[in-house]
Amino acid sequence: MRVANSLVPDVLAGIQQSEASLQTALQEVSTGKRVNVPSDDPAAAAAMVQNTAESNNIDQYEANDNAALGAAQTADSALNSVVTLLTQAVSLGTEGANGTESESDRESLATEVQGILSSVVSDANTQYQGVAVFGGTSNASAAYVADSASSTGYAYQGDSGVNQVQVGDSLEVQTNIPGNQIFESPGASVLGSLSQLANALQSGSSTDIGTATSNISAALNYVSAQQGVYGNSISQLNSQETFLAQDQVTLSTQASNLVDVDTATAAEQLAQAEAQNSAVLAAAAKVLPTTLLDYLK
Amino acid sequence: MGGLNTALSIATDALNAQEVAISTADNNIANADTPGYSREVVNLSAAGTTTEGGVAVGDGVDVDGITSVRDQLVDLQIQGQTSAQTAANAQSAVLDTVQTYVSGSSATVGSDMSAFFTSLSALSSAPSNGADRETVISNAQDLVSAFQTTSQGLTSTQSGLDTQVSGDVSQINSLASQIASLNTQISSQPEDASGSGELEDQQSELEQQLSGLTSFSVTTTAQGDTISIGNDSPIVVGGQSYALSTGVGSNGLTQVVDSQGNTITSQISGGDLGGTITARDQQIPGFLSQLDTLANGFATAFNAAQSSGYDLDGNPGGALFTVPSTVAGSAASIALNTTNGDAIAVSSDGSVDGNGNLAALTAVQTTALPSGESPTDSYAALVDSIGNAASNASTQSTAIQSSLTQLTNLQSSVSGVSIDEESSNLIAYQQAYEAAAEVVSTINSLFSDTMDMMSTTGV
Repeated sequence: MRVANSLVPDVLAGIQQSEASLQTALQEVSTGKRVNVPSDDPAAAAAMVQNTAESNNIDQYEANDNAALGAAQTADSALNSVVTLLTQAVSLGTEGANGTESESDRESLATEVQGILSSVVSDANTQYQGVAVFGGTSNASAAYVADSASSTGYAYQGDSGVNQVQVGDSLEVQTNIPGNQIFESPGASVLGSLSQLANALQSGSSTDIGTATSNISAALNYVSAQQGVYGNSISQLNSQETFLAQDQVTLSTQASNLVDVDTATAAEQLAQAEAQNSAVLAAAAKVLPTTLLDYLK
Repeated sequence: MGGLNTALSIATDALNAQEVAISTADNNIANADTPGYSREVVNLSAAGTTTEGGVAVGDGVDVDGITSVRDQLVDLQIQGQTSAQTAANAQSAVLDTVQTYVSGSSATVGSDMSAFFTSLSALSSAPSNGADRETVISNAQDLVSAFQTTSQGLTSTQSGLDTQVSGDVSQINSLASQIASLNTQISSQPEDASGSGELEDQQSELEQQLSGLTSFSVTTTAQGDTISIGNDSPIVVGGQSYALSTGVGSNGLTQVVDSQGNTITSQISGGDLGGTITARDQQIPGFLSQLDTLANGFATAFNAAQSSGYDLDGNPGGALFTVPSTVAGSAASIALNTTNGDAIAVSSDGSVDGNGNLAALTAVQTTALPSGESPTDSYAALVDSIGNAASNASTQSTAIQSSLTQLTNLQSSVSGVSIDEESSNLIAYQQAYEAAAEVVSTINSLFSDTMDMMSTTGV
C-alpha cells in the first residue's frame, strides 16, 4: 500500500502540539497558577469564588472582633472603677450609720458620697470612639446628663437597645449593656442608692442610712454580676480570634490546592516541555528534505 | 511493406504513449503542492490485434485516458471532521472572549458582591458610622457596574458575531456559484480526459472549503454535485446556484435566509457558521439568563431584607436596588435606588446605633434565592458553565485535530503526489521512449536497406 507522500502534516501537528505544551508550562511558571481562566479547570474556578467570598468575610469578622473587643474592654474597665467606688461608698455609709458621728461629720460624708456619685456618672459616660458605651443603641455621646428634675440628679439619655456583633458565620456576641439596665436597675439602682445615701447622711436618720447602705451593697453585687456579661463577651471574642485565624489558614491552603501550581513541579514541567520541543524540531529537520531526486544525480 | 509501415505506426503510437505518460508525470510533479490536487495516472492498454497472413499481431498501445486517483469516501469523512472542528474553533474563540468577564479576582460580579457584603458586615460594630455607610454605597455602585458591564460584554459579543455570520454567508454564496459553474464544465467534458480530473479536483477543494463554513449534504447526479444545507435548503443544483441572504430577526441579530425566503438560522450546524450561530444563539443567551436571574434574585432579596429594618432616620428601610419586574434584562438595567448611606436599614427598632437588622442584610449572601442557590453559589455556577463550555470547545477541537491528521494522511496516501514515485516513473518512461525511438531508427534503416535492395537489382 502507498503511504502518505509527505510527512509534513504529521510534523506540523507534532510541532504545534509541543509548542502548545510549552506555552502552558511557561504560563504556569510565570503566574504560579494552574488555573488562570475558568476553562483551565471550571470546577476549581467555581470553588475559588466561594473560597474567596468566605476568606473576605473572615477578614471582616476579624476586624469586627477587634472593634467589639475594644468596646467591651473599655466598658469592663469602667465597671471595675464603678465597683471600687461603690465599695468606698459602702464603707462611708457604714461609718455614717454609726451613731457616734456628729452632724458635721455626716455632712462631710454626704459630700464625699456626692463626689462618688458624680465619679460613677463620669464612668457611666465612658466613650468608645466618640459614642457612650453605656448608651444602648442610641448614639448619644453621654449616657447621663445632669437633670435637676430627676430624683438622682441625672437623666438617662440612651435607650435600652442591645447590639450583637457578627464575628463568625454563625456567631454573634453581645457587646453592650444599656446604662439604665446597669445603673438604674429597680431594687439595685446604683445612682438611686448613692443619692439616697447622700440624702440620708444629710438628714441624719440612722435607719435611712442603714437602708441606703444595704441598697448600695445590693447595687454593687448587681453591677459585679453584670460585669460578667462583658467578661463572657471578651473571652468569647478572644477565642473567636484564634478560630478565625485558623479558618484563614485552612481556606488559604484550600485555595492553594485549587489553583496554585507548585513552583518546583512547574519548573520541571517547563524544562521537559522545552526539551520535547527541541526534539520535535530536530526530528522535523531530519525527515523533511530528502526525496529520490536528491539521489538521482 | 505493409509490415514495416505497421511496425512504424506501432512505434509512433509507443512514442506518443510515452510522451503522454511523461507529460502526466511532469504535471503531477508540477502540482505536487497544489491544494486538492489528486495525482493522475495514465491508463494504457494493448491496442488489440490485427490478422496478417493468418497470424494475429498486436497493434501497439492505446492511451485510454488519464484518471485522477481519489477516494470519495475519505473526502466525505474529511469534510465531516472539518465541519466539526471549525465549529468547535469558532465556539472556542467566542467563549475565550466571554470568559474574560468572569476571570480575575477584581471587578467581577463575584468579587464586587463579596466586597459589598464585607463592607456591610463592618457596620456591625459601628452602625451609624457615616464613612462606613458610604463605603457600603460605593461598593454597591461597583457591584451594579459589574452586573451592567458583564451583561453588556455578553450582548456586544453577540452582536459582534453578526459580522461573522454575514461574512460566512457571502463566502458560502461565492463558493456555491463556483461549484455550480464547475458542475457545468465537468458535465460537458468527455470522461477520462485530463481536464475533467483537474476540474473535479478543483470542485472537491471548493467543497472542502465549504465544509469549513457549514456542514452540507451532497449527492452526485448526472448534472454534477447537488448540495443542500440545513434541512434540505438547496444551494447548488447542477449548473445553478441558489444564494443565501441575511435578514434581521426579532432579537435584532442577523438571520440566515435561504433562496426561498425561509429563515434557516437554527437549522445550520457545523462549520464556522454553525459554530458561530450556536455560540451566539444558544450559549451566550444561556449565560445571560443565568446572570439576569442572579441580578434580579439578589436585588429582590436584599430589598426585602431592607424592608424588615429601619434606616438612620428611623423610617422603615426602602429598596436599595432597582431591577425590572421581568428577569430578562435585569443585569443590564440594575441600578441603585439611592446613594445615601443613611438608607441602609441596619437597625431593627429605629434606634440610631442599633444593628438588629444587619444579620438579615448579610444573610442575603448565603441564603438560597428563588432560583435555588445563594448569590455566591449562583455566580460560582455561572463561572463553571462558562469555563466548561470553553474547555469543552477547545478539547473537542484538539481531539478532532488528530483524527483529521489521520484522515488527511490517508487521503494523501491515495491521492498525493509522491515525488519519489514520479521520479522513478519518469526514468521508466524515458527508457521506454528511448527504446521506441531506437525501434523507429531501426525501421528507418530497414527502409533504406529495402530501397537499396530494389535499386541494385533493378526490375
